[in-house]
Amino acid sequence: MRARWRHSYLDGYATPRLAKLAPNLVAACFPLMKLLPARFMLDRAEARGELMPGGHIVETTSGTFGLALALLAAVRGYRLSLVSADTLLDASLQRRLVALGARIEIVPDADKTGAQRARLARLEAIRSGHPEAWWPQQYDNPDNPRAYARLAELLVRTLGAVDCLVGPVGSGGSMCGTSAFLREVFPAMRTVAADTHRSVLFGHAAGSRLLRGLGNSLVPQNVDHSAFDEVHWVGGLQAFAATRRLHREHGIFAGPTSGAAVLVASWHARQHPDQLTVVILPDEGHRYQDTVHNDDWLLALPGWPAVEAAGPLELQHLAPLGEATWTCIAWQRRSLDAARRDFGDGLAPDALT
Amino acid sequence: MTNTRDGRRPGSNEGRLRVGTGRASAHHGELLQGVFEGADGRLHRGLITLPCPVFTSTATFWPRLGSGITTRPAGRDKASRAATLTLERLSLPQIGGELTIESTVPMGHGYGSSTADVVAAIRATAAAARVTLRQETVAALAVAAETASDPLAYEGLPVLFAQREGLLLELLGPAFPPLIIVGCNVAPDQPVDTLLTSPARYGSDEIETFRVLSGLARHAVAAGDARLLASVATASACISQRHLPKPHFDKLSDLARGTGACGLQVAHSGTLIGLLFDGAESHARRRAAEAASHLAAHGLLSVITYELGVEGTP
Ligand SMILES: Cc1ncc(COP(=O)(O)O)c(C=O)c1O
Repeated sequence: MRARWRHSYLDGYATPRLAKLAPNLVAACFPLMKLLPARFMLDRAEARGELMPGGHIVETTSGTFGLALALLAAVRGYRLSLVSADTLLDASLQRRLVALGARIEIVPDADKTGAQRARLARLEAIRSGHPEAWWPQQYDNPDNPRAYARLAELLVRTLGAVDCLVGPVGSGGSMCGTSAFLREVFPAMRTVAADTHRSVLFGHAAGSRLLRGLGNSLVPQNVDHSAFDEVHWVGGLQAFAATRRLHREHGIFAGPTSGAAVLVASWHARQHPDQLTVVILPDEGHRYQDTVHNDDWLLALPGWPAVEAAGPLELQHLAPLGEATWTCIAWQRRSLDAARRDFGDGLAPDALT
Repeated sequence: MTNTRDGRRPGSNEGRLRVGTGRASAHHGELLQGVFEGADGRLHRGLITLPCPVFTSTATFWPRLGSGITTRPAGRDKASRAATLTLERLSLPQIGGELTIESTVPMGHGYGSSTADVVAAIRATAAAARVTLRQETVAALAVAAETASDPLAYEGLPVLFAQREGLLLELLGPAFPPLIIVGCNVAPDQPVDTLLTSPARYGSDEIETFRVLSGLARHAVAAGDARLLASVATASACISQRHLPKPHFDKLSDLARGTGACGLQVAHSGTLIGLLFDGAESHARRRAAEAASHLAAHGLLSVITYELGVEGTP
């Protein structure tokens, strides 16, 4: 038995604890969800010979995917170069990445949209200098969603049928992957996205976002819009309040994307008492000790404390609102084009290109 | 080295050899077939067999001194090989004999006729030597005798079994949930030779999907939930349809929905399709009977209805 036991320390980061938040609501709480796709993408790249022993990995990241890569690169002996933006990477995470041996390049993000294009341009520059380097491409690599069969497996093994899946969307890997695998056996399962205002993922015009870690200023290939039955836009203030409530009421110390997802999922579970809702919580609260989990930081935010919304404002048109609001649309498995056609409006011209 | 029940070396036993009989039931294809990660972290081709005790094979072994096995009917080479391997395993290479097979299992449709013969032959040979073999030994001998073999040695237990390695990947639980199966043969004139059909080459998404299917199968068995197990079978059948398509599949899928079945399963390397009914449901027997008459009305052949683990009188 001893010889067959194969788990590494890092496996624990990618394995969620399941917690019951209500009789019909289960949370899958990851210490570091992004390790799941990072490990799978690396395994596959190694198997295909795209990543050789001692090789070089390059990626652009807003944080947790970079941490996952840095952990794996350290343990497996790869060189790692990460491109991030000054609004995305806090000092303590940056210190941790450096301690793990990663090389970090920071691009400025004056308008606080995540500087996605500037990051990609910087990444291209690195890649042209290092043509042998392997780029995981978490936004477009199909091994990102594919990695989530392991989450789907854990859910069905433990819970059996799942009626509704709720979670934050950034690259789309976790929600679109988990949802696709669960629908192999439960085709009628509902899939609900937690996004935030002024993320372009579901048709808003790009703009400044208070809530980071979900949403995007580009639309990745890994977002399969037709997977989603419902889309919610949770403002930063609502997400932060929900994150603190999650800690206070359940002892779950999580990041703000988890708070946003739990806000949506709790509401959904109350609306559908006869269905089992599962919600994905991608990371823990440690990285947010000085921000979302710090009262002084919150009090300095305009509009804090916000009145916690009892439910979303249901929209007929795609329209970003303020950080204190929470909105939703019955997406009904539309493509992005179909949603733009059907829900139009609220779009700045540049988001249509 | 296998010892006899009374502790003596089998090799010293030849004087005590007797006529032995062994039996094995058929199966109705699989609830799940694909590739699965084993405890060793590697991928294995594996399956969950759906037992079908309606059909059985009975083997009788008449031992005699001198090597060589003759079979009746003649030419049952896999069964004969199984008996030879069993005698070698029991350190009785100097023994031969006559092996009679009486089987009610139709051949070549995916009922596992040859595995049933092989397992019955192994049991008959072991009985002739007054030896009890462990299930895993019977399973490994069966795979050795016929290259790929269904886990009939596990006597109806829900197991995930690597059919080409003779390896138990996972015991899913103590028993299958209660099921009523209405089966038919969708291509009775095209019998399949399992060994001549090349194994399916699964894509990455399919390989990952099999994780989810085996995970749900385990939950379904533990919870005694026939509906969830039927969802697994349906998903596996749909994947199989991409690799070895069966005629009438869409028609039977519609019929499954229309008759209140909770899913359908296929013989992944045969021509059987079974509609699955939840044996715990009050109207399951009536629905199954209706489905059976629909199948017959559609001109489908070899329609059989049987129950697995359902309490009460059919
Ligand atoms: C904390 C956090 N939450 C949510 C997400 C979104 O997950 P995904 O990229 O799978 O859509 C990420 C992705 O980086 C994340 O880091």
